[in-house]
Amino acid sequence: MSDVSTDSPKGALRRGWSASVGDYAIAGGWTLHGEALVVGDAAGGVYAFDGKSGASAWVRQEAHDGGVLAMAIHPSGTAFATAGQDGRVLVWGVAEAQVKRVIDVGSDWVEHVAWSPDGQWLAASCSRQVRVYGADGGEVWRSDDHPSTVSAIAWSSAGELATACYGRVTFFDASTGKRRQKLEWRGSLVSMVLSPDGEIVACGSQDNSVHFWRRSTEQDSMMSGYPAKPSALAFDDTGALLATGGGEAVTVWNFWGSGPEGTRPVSLYLHVQTVTTLAFAHRGMRLASGARDGRVVVWSLRRDGQGNPIGIALVADVVSALYWRPDGRALAALDAQGGATVWRVGNR
Amino acid sequence: MNTQRKVPVSILTGFLGSGKTTLLNRILSEEHGKRIAVIENEYGEVGIDHELVINADEEIFEMSNGCICCTVRGDLIRVLGNLMKRRDKFDYVLVETTGLADPGPVAQTFFMDDEIRAEFALDGIVTLVDAAHIEQQLGRSDESTEQIAFADVLVLNKTDLVDGEALDRIEARIQDMNRMAQVVRSERANVSLDTVLNLGAFDLDQMLERRPAFLEPEYPFEWTGVYSLDIGRYELSLADGPDPTMSLVVVPDQGTDDAALREGAEWSVRRYAEPTELIRPGEEIPVGKHVNLRLDSPGRKSFFLEVDAQVRVGLYAQHTAEEFDLQLTNAEGATIGLEVERTWVVQHEHDDDVGSIAIERDGDVDPERLNAWLGKLLRERGVDIFRMKGFISLAGDSRRFVFQGVHMLFDGQPDRQWGDAPRRNQLVFIGRNLDEESMRQEFDACLM
Repeated sequence: MSDVSTDSPKGALRRGWSASVGDYAIAGGWTLHGEALVVGDAAGGVYAFDGKSGASAWVRQEAHDGGVLAMAIHPSGTAFATAGQDGRVLVWGVAEAQVKRVIDVGSDWVEHVAWSPDGQWLAASCSRQVRVYGADGGEVWRSDDHPSTVSAIAWSSAGELATACYGRVTFFDASTGKRRQKLEWRGSLVSMVLSPDGEIVACGSQDNSVHFWRRSTEQDSMMSGYPAKPSALAFDDTGALLATGGGEAVTVWNFWGSGPEGTRPVSLYLHVQTVTTLAFAHRGMRLASGARDGRVVVWSLRRDGQGNPIGIALVADVVSALYWRPDGRALAALDAQGGATVWRVGNR
Repeated sequence: MNTQRKVPVSILTGFLGSGKTTLLNRILSEEHGKRIAVIENEYGEVGIDHELVINADEEIFEMSNGCICCTVRGDLIRVLGNLMKRRDKFDYVLVETTGLADPGPVAQTFFMDDEIRAEFALDGIVTLVDAAHIEQQLGRSDESTEQIAFADVLVLNKTDLVDGEALDRIEARIQDMNRMAQVVRSERANVSLDTVLNLGAFDLDQMLERRPAFLEPEYPFEWTGVYSLDIGRYELSLADGPDPTMSLVVVPDQGTDDAALREGAEWSVRRYAEPTELIRPGEEIPVGKHVNLRLDSPGRKSFFLEVDAQVRVGLYAQHTAEEFDLQLTNAEGATIGLEVERTWVVQHEHDDDVGSIAIERDGDVDPERLNAWLGKLLRERGVDIFRMKGFISLAGDSRRFVFQGVHMLFDGQPDRQWGDAPRRNQLVFIGRNLDEESMRQEFDACLM
């Protein structure tokens, strides 16, 4: 790896700040309107940094025994949840800078956590179950055992939760836990993303393909030919473009018109190792990609999926996650060495 | 991104009751100064409070293409993927499977998943065999057969529950099924840590160093007797027996434990490959040489052994002592007692459909023909090939090509320079109903 300091960000990415946490930075997010960046690490620590300067705001070491596995910011930006190997979910208050609620989910790892879009429900998965909690932290319902460990969760709307596991995507009613729909396909689903309207569900599969369904017709399609398993997936805000990893290229499928069935995807090349994470900015078709090579690239895409790189930067190790500040004017990257790097994003 | 050393992983298989938990507890309680992460199956019951014991459901993930070699352990991918992120990484991973597990998916996980492959290296597969029950199990279940076929080390456990003859028979049978594996005997899974960790079992050189004769089809001798001798002249006498001659190697400085006997056996195999020297009755037997005792005259025949220092010798004989009423006496005519003896079963009367095929040939191989042959073999017979490894002398390449594989998964790369070493090829396949003769012929057709 070349020395990071010799490689300054280019194009639209302008140097912001960088900070570090104690171990591999697993997950994070922006609170409020970007006032702070919170980060959880593999040693179980939770860190908050001032969004503008990167100065450490507060730190809680060993919040999760064994390590943090997931984090989700409450839609209001005033709270966030962390999940860990200790079988717990912690709900943190941003203003209080401390844990407001401890939820004991189970004895196994809690691998996924997600707030409903209206902030009313908190879903957490542990082993083969998913459980939903109310605003007071009380359990509302829990699912029966899935056929295998739940590999991804996502809210399709404020009233409906989706889970993925080996061979299946399941939709549950948010308030009752009643099963609404089950989409089956024999394969190991390792990641999941839903289109903003909740109509399309796309999953990355262990066998190096992306499988997707249109829920209204339950029609499914498979997009294969990836050199690696597509664990990074992202839909843009309009639901027109699905960006996928699964190799060195960022592969973009276009859902406008009759696509993507029968169409060729757009491949965006700048990474030299497997893409690990993808994030669309909330508006304006800007896509950020991070890879094992430590590169972060911001692409400006057109509606047909074609696009150009408008900014590039390098961090010290594998990029583990990317988070756009809610206003789209800054981008945070977490990496495997525990780095948290923030760039301001200009127009070009 | 960093190219640090890969974390080695051992897989521990064996039927319920074979002693897996006992072995795990032994390893974890030993003072070895290593950080070992243990991934236990859902029924595991390691009793030790060990910070890195993780319970995982065995989640066998098949792929939509139906290919069995794409079947992996999904739980391992998730758990190992998360564990490897920690900065204070562990030095070693042990994966315990359930008793009825097919070792294929767990082994394939380390070939099939890119992220796992980047961080972990499959170090070896250790299978515990319950000496008291394995003979019934082999008749009844494919799983026990496959667990033996996949192994790099076979721990023949609970040896105190069966007699020596049965042990020899069982050992010969499992070794015949999987000639690549090292067999270790134990009573209560009391094997040393080195037996299970850092095997380097996928490293062929290490294996050849440990067992230089592992490619030999079988031992050319049936019996070994160990005698403790003082300085003096000894008489070895044999009565009439089934054969007019008997081959023999006298090994000096022979130990008496199982490992020493095996070591002597490996050494003798190489002596047996050398030209033999015919010894007539009344003549002296040279130590450390492949000799052929002439036994075609009627009555008891005597040969002599001259010992000029106190020594323990091992007699590796083509036939058992019983068949010729073999006796060793000193100059005073007193019979020397056996310190220890063991038999090596040469004929295999059982009909297991799983067996080993070893191909050993001098010379260079045409890369294109080899590729075509292996491709066809793995496509057509990959389901039945559990393990393979070996090295090849490719024409036009100054380096050895080493390979290994599980089912259809094949992993090979050039390794060290041949230099002055004779260029040759060694291949071993462990599989079900493999046609040895046609595989040999097809390989021979790849030779230049």
